[in-house]
Amino acid sequence: MSLVFKALADPTRRRVLQLLKERPMTAGEIAEHVDIAKPTLSAHFAILREAGLVGSEKSGKTVTYWLNASVLEEALLAFADTVGVGLKPGRQRVAAAKKEAAS
Amino acid sequence: MTGRNLSHAAREIAFGLGVAALVLVAAAALRYAEAAEILGGDGARRAMQILVGLVLAAYGDRMPKAYASALQRPCRGGRIQSVIRVGGWSMTLAGLGYAALWALAPLAFADVASMALVGSACAVLIGYGGWALAICRPSADQSL
Repeated sequence: MSLVFKALADPTRRRVLQLLKERPMTAGEIAEHVDIAKPTLSAHFAILREAGLVGSEKSGKTVTYWLNASVLEEALLAFADTVGVGLKPGRQRVAAAKKEAAS
Repeated sequence: MTGRNLSHAAREIAFGLGVAALVLVAAAALRYAEAAEILGGDGARRAMQILVGLVLAAYGDRMPKAYASALQRPCRGGRIQSVIRVGGWSMTLAGLGYAALWALAPLAFADVASMALVGSACAVLIGYGGWALAICRPSADQSL
């Protein structure tokens, strides 16, 4: 369970999981939505896989990822997103302002 | 069957056997408590039904992980994934609601409402699953 908490503590990894909630995606499709370098993204995938939150299937050069979270893990993801776990205080305010603007 | 699938199947069987053992031990303990007049008949019944609800919630919680291999089936828009997630959530919430009803509600009400709750969760799962599977038929998949 500590691996799950570690995986959910990072906002980028939570963003990846939110994307995978919509549908299984290839690494390239996810990279289009997340503004970070590919090697860093690979490290995030490794942590998510280790925690058992995503599954992956390699077909040729393409790796497809899908959400492999239990209901409790999904609830924890929603909670961590709502509270803003892992965001620095300044970024937390920015995220809250963005959320308010969107609503 | 690959090694990964085998270990996954072994974990699922171990979980099922563990739950079965828990239910049997709990039933025996409650029967003993009832015979020794530690618990009244209603208390034992409530305790057993709460356990049943929690077991249902535990199975619902694991549902998205247990059926994750189905996600490798081709279907556009992640329909299978949404069926598994909706099923998992509806069963987990139904299980928790079932346990809460048997813990807190009057017996006559809990008896009917808990069944209605689980029935509704099954209806949601079957209805949503049927709709999504109809969309995921090969012919429908090609037409999308």
